[in-house]
Amino acid sequence: MLKRVVYNVLRNPELAPGGSLVHAPVVPVQGEAYEVHEDIAGEHMLINIGPQHPATHGVLRLVLELDGETVVRCIPHIGYLHSSFEKLGEYRDWNQIVPLTDRMDYLAPLIYNCAYAMAVEKLMGIEVTERCKVVRVICMEMDRIFSHLLWLGTTAIDLGAFTVFLYTFQQREKVYDLHERFTGARITTSSTRIGGMMADLPPGWIGQLQEFLDNFVPVLDEVETLLTNNAIWIGRTQGVGEISAADAVNFGLSGPNLRASGVDYDIRKDRPYYDYETYDFDVPVGEHGDIYDRYLCRMEEMRQSVSLLRQAIERLPGGPINVDDPRVILPTKTAAMNDMESMIHHFKVVMEGVRAPVGESWFSVESSKGELGMYVVSDGGAKPVRWRVRGPSFINIAALPHMIEGALLSDVIAVNASLDIVLGEIDR
Amino acid sequence: MGLTSGSPDTGAGAVVQGGAEPEGAPQGGVFSAQPSFLTTRLDAVVNWARQNSLWPMPFGTACCAIEMMATAAARYDLARFGMERMSFSPRQADLLICAGRVSYKMAPVLRRIWEQMPSPKWAISMGACASSGGVFDVYSMVQGIDTIIPVDVYVPGCPPRPEGLIYGILMIQEKIRQSAPTSQDEWNAVDALPEAGSHLPTGVVNHLSAPFGNSTNQNRASGLVSTGAVVRVSDRRP
Amino acid sequence: MTAGGDAFRQGAEGLERGPLPSDAGGEGAAPPAGELPPHPSVDALREEFGAGVLRHELVAGDEHIVYVPPAHNVEVLTWLRDTPAHRYDFLQDLTAVDYGGGRPIQVVYQLWSIPNRLNLRVKCELPLHALEIETVYYLWRAADWLEREVFDMFGVVFTGHPDLRRILMPYNYAEGHPLRKDFPLRGRFSRAEQTRRALSMKTEDHYSPQELELAHALGQALPEVMVEGPVQGDAPGIGIGAG
Repeated sequence: MLKRVVYNVLRNPELAPGGSLVHAPVVPVQGEAYEVHEDIAGEHMLINIGPQHPATHGVLRLVLELDGETVVRCIPHIGYLHSSFEKLGEYRDWNQIVPLTDRMDYLAPLIYNCAYAMAVEKLMGIEVTERCKVVRVICMEMDRIFSHLLWLGTTAIDLGAFTVFLYTFQQREKVYDLHERFTGARITTSSTRIGGMMADLPPGWIGQLQEFLDNFVPVLDEVETLLTNNAIWIGRTQGVGEISAADAVNFGLSGPNLRASGVDYDIRKDRPYYDYETYDFDVPVGEHGDIYDRYLCRMEEMRQSVSLLRQAIERLPGGPINVDDPRVILPTKTAAMNDMESMIHHFKVVMEGVRAPVGESWFSVESSKGELGMYVVSDGGAKPVRWRVRGPSFINIAALPHMIEGALLSDVIAVNASLDIVLGEIDR
Repeated sequence: MGLTSGSPDTGAGAVVQGGAEPEGAPQGGVFSAQPSFLTTRLDAVVNWARQNSLWPMPFGTACCAIEMMATAAARYDLARFGMERMSFSPRQADLLICAGRVSYKMAPVLRRIWEQMPSPKWAISMGACASSGGVFDVYSMVQGIDTIIPVDVYVPGCPPRPEGLIYGILMIQEKIRQSAPTSQDEWNAVDALPEAGSHLPTGVVNHLSAPFGNSTNQNRASGLVSTGAVVRVSDRRP
Repeated sequence: MTAGGDAFRQGAEGLERGPLPSDAGGEGAAPPAGELPPHPSVDALREEFGAGVLRHELVAGDEHIVYVPPAHNVEVLTWLRDTPAHRYDFLQDLTAVDYGGGRPIQVVYQLWSIPNRLNLRVKCELPLHALEIETVYYLWRAADWLEREVFDMFGVVFTGHPDLRRILMPYNYAEGHPLRKDFPLRGRFSRAEQTRRALSMKTEDHYSPQELELAHALGQALPEVMVEGPVQGDAPGIGIGAG
């Protein structure tokens, strides 16, 4: 005997005075779920999605048990991209790990660079300069927009809206230009160092960022007109993939996935770093915990990031970008080329590495995908004993079965997309 | 059959009717072993059609996949090469672009996708990780997908810029231009990979996967030797 | 030149010495044990469990760590999660650290209380010959995959976990547990052997116990090759698989 819960789509839709669709609740049929005889129900199918699949956002394998179109059970398999970053980190100096961090969340590399540097600086007791703090805030918020744009484009294309993909990728090209001007690379930025950044902002970069922000907001508005009140979008995202607040907390969800369920937890507000408590911004918190609320949360987060970036640009102080500590920072090129002692100093820092004191630190930032934690353990040497990355997507994807069991097959792709996962940080 | 091939010294343009075939040579015709004016023209036409309408199979795993997506997007448009139709089913693809690092867990999947692609097919190994393992000389990463499938073009970079990938695609097009699709050998060629295991012998796989480069034995990052007069606490044996 | 010389000497000496012990205020060495700044949960834990709290450490300026004997982990963590004043409802992280050299492996629970805004790290030390600890799956579902990963990478068995199997490495991985210090960076087998094993794996032949249960429920008989049993090298405490 199989129990089946039947959903009615678009029951009692809410219409605006003009007749346009405002809200289309998806509700289960009134009454108890009824039992179905096996011979009527037919056999269940066990199907395999991935790991090579256009819509899994990476090498994720989902094994689904289907009863017709309804998902009875979902078992995700990961590990197809396991690159053993954590083991590799044990053989690399503190600064040599920075390029590894780009390759985990390749959609928001600056956030990873900054989070890692911040964790190690906490371990070492180093406080970076004021300018470096604001530059890192700029980097992190810019990459939050960058990551959400990709999420928006790929989620929309998964649900059939191709135009949004093109619009968002065009905006992302502008952020690629900003990445490249600052760090030399489009994606694998590797821009932070222990105690500072690889280099200061080039002249004109802030102007280019401001230009991007000015042109970006109208595009975001345009995308909203395409999606937010679109009946198809609402029909496919409202009421789908719901998770309650208590479940979300218990499953360890973080970021917009958690906030869409109504839990007000944002590390920038709860454990602020780099003076986030002095910036004026809001954190969107949803209500229903479905895909639509996650979409609204991320759209609003992009707008809040724009506001944060404008504030950061305004308060960007002058001064050095690197901390003035010869134990961690290389001497300037001019000094190293002209001065024997500086050259030897440069040699020693590069060849022997920066040393951290004995100890450990678990530090997390609010990345675009959730709570990104970095746990570094040191035994006094130039390399970590243990470098652990708490990738938010690893924990978010574990809640996928809970969200889609009972939903329809096409919802699987939608919910998977709405979790905003990146396999690089799931598999590490 | 008027289209018999000419003998080599008659050169292009000569069509010999009923000419004597060299002993043991296969029957004449379009697909005979001897190139001729008509077959080269036919080759050119077939090659032109193939190179300008490649249907890529984007086997994207990691960061390179994002650059591949950017290459297909508006700024570095792949549609101008006829490649905008990304085929996600290998059965309908002819160019496998392996973009990103491949782990040993993913290796059989890559192999299967390659085997499912019908001939003629080409493979681009995009990025340092697909070409040689990249920064990941570790227990779980394939040290270059050429140990698993035959690769035609390697595009270095981490990740390669979209222009780099486009250059790799142009090299594939050049390779296609120089191929002889209507020759007997090509027509009869069977590209079968061994049932199980790599298509390369063990020694070659080990040689290709070994750490390489000048710095391998000279720096601590290789994990092969601990260098320097002072052996620090944190220098771990590989 | 002298200026350069001073900077160099400072730098060189600093490099030899290493940075000062980490301290958020930058004011020098951490306070001696016994005079650690108070943490409400640690004090309450000491009151509640007494000897169940082995020691209390402070690292990186403001991070409190509590060491708990492995046998009492569920008890202590349940108390921490359920007591309203502490209410650590969010499991930020569950991981392990292998220091090498025969030292015990530490299982680390990083906790956050959303209502009370408190951080706490709980550690349990497991000797290498007894890498077993009870699961906290039933406290926080987030521990499901986190414990699977610790099992996969370190070989720590979480008793009571409903589905403890490898998560990142392939099912037939026979080289051991990668993040252990005695595991070499490039693995134990040669590259050719690793390639051969990888390519001989037919992914759809190996379904997990969960998936097999489905097949049984549906009354489907599966061929022998699809039944995934314990594979050599998967068993805890065994570093190398035979072959």
